[in-house]
Amino acid sequence: MRLIVHNMLTCNIKGVINKFPLRIEAEKVIKKEVDFNPDFLRHMLAKIEWKALVDGARSMGYTELPVHAPALESDEPFLRKFHHALLELNLEEGSLVCQESGRKFPVEKGVPNMLLHEDEV
Amino acid sequence: MRDVKVKANSKSTEEEENEMSSSLSVKSTPEIEKKYVHRVYDAIAPHFSSTRFAKWPKVAAFLESLPSGSVVLDAGCGNGKYLGLNPSCFFIGCDISNPLIKICSDKGQEVLVADAVNLPYREEFGDAAISIAVLHHLSTENRRKSAIEELVRVVKPGGFVLITVWAAEQEDKSLLTKWTPLSPKYVEEWVGPGSPMNSPRVRNNPFFGLESIPETDVSAKDQKAGLESIPETEESTREPKATQDSLGEQKDKSSVEVLLEALKMNQQEYFVPWHLPYHRAEVSGASASALASGLAKKDDRKGTVVYNRYYHVFSEGELERLASGVGNAIIVDRFYDKSNWCIVLQKEALNQD
Repeated sequence: MRLIVHNMLTCNIKGVINKFPLRIEAEKVIKKEVDFNPDFLRHMLAKIEWKALVDGARSMGYTELPVHAPALESDEPFLRKFHHALLELNLEEGSLVCQESGRKFPVEKGVPNMLLHEDEV
Repeated sequence: MRDVKVKANSKSTEEEENEMSSSLSVKSTPEIEKKYVHRVYDAIAPHFSSTRFAKWPKVAAFLESLPSGSVVLDAGCGNGKYLGLNPSCFFIGCDISNPLIKICSDKGQEVLVADAVNLPYREEFGDAAISIAVLHHLSTENRRKSAIEELVRVVKPGGFVLITVWAAEQEDKSLLTKWTPLSPKYVEEWVGPGSPMNSPRVRNNPFFGLESIPETDVSAKDQKAGLESIPETEESTREPKATQDSLGEQKDKSSVEVLLEALKMNQQEYFVPWHLPYHRAEVSGASASALASGLAKKDDRKGTVVYNRYYHVFSEGELERLASGVGNAIIVDRFYDKSNWCIVLQKEALNQD
């Protein structure tokens, strides 16, 4: 699971209000190189919830992201860091934790399992 | 003021529980889907995937039309056939079947295990969404509508959604003879507020003399087509015109019986077999328990373990009617292709002042 997906994931347990973002408990992180595409990154900047990305990257061991996204989006050094955090960090094993309920969604072999139990629906 | 008599609740505890469970969240998975969709796909995943490689031109065209860099959400992605089809887009797939998702992740695709009726996604993240041959596995109208609402919710304002489902009107009518129309036993398992038994199409069908509002979409022609497509089973050998009895006789039958007859006339609920070759079944390991529990049976002649998949096939206009009930999206395209009804929705754009 990469942070581009994590930035979208919510806990849908009935009654939970604070469903996003999920806290990452990382057990195994691997880095996989991805082609740098500035246009795509700029497109993503509008969608990304920045604090969730920064916190998520930190949980995966990457602390280079600025606390705020800079106003000048075309700044390449920034885009490189954004690229690395968004697309090159892979959570292979770990959990995504709902901040309100504490429920842990497992991530195994890079795949999150977000299915709810019957009593959570 | 006249005393109003309140009728004592005469329901048994079991009836009450059934009512409560049927009014439980639309997001709960009904038994029929657990047994005849989820377990089946889990058991057949690799074999199923090996047969699903041809890219449907209409889906490919939709994906190729998307702007470069679009985030595309595929809900019910199966073996990930369409993930990455347009290399300029970023695809995120989900499916309820872990074995199918494993096939996707082994290919390096970005996927997760999730329920299409309850997408664990915050709103408006996607640029587009697709649902290819998924909704026909949902057993109630409310769940099918929910799944459409989810697709619209997760795309940005102005974003497009493509949905395809199996049509009741199959091009190859001989296929229907291989399908098993749902029998009353299975109907009772999931009769509830959202079931087809209670759908307006069935309840308001004037053909059966039920109290009804005049229905504009059930023509006599449709009825005849429905009759012709019913496979030869014990039920269908009964004289069709027995159902054209006088209103008086109709009313003597229980409403369940009448609705069951309506179900046969407007047969849209089927079990569609999947033949899993023995060598594949042994590898998956799931088949031993499936055979033991009666969920699957052996076909020694073909050397396969036969599973049944539950389908609610869609009649003409049904997908549109369902989609038009979603408030913040409009239908921008609709077509029939290769025995599937297809629709493209666009989510309302934000008001630009």
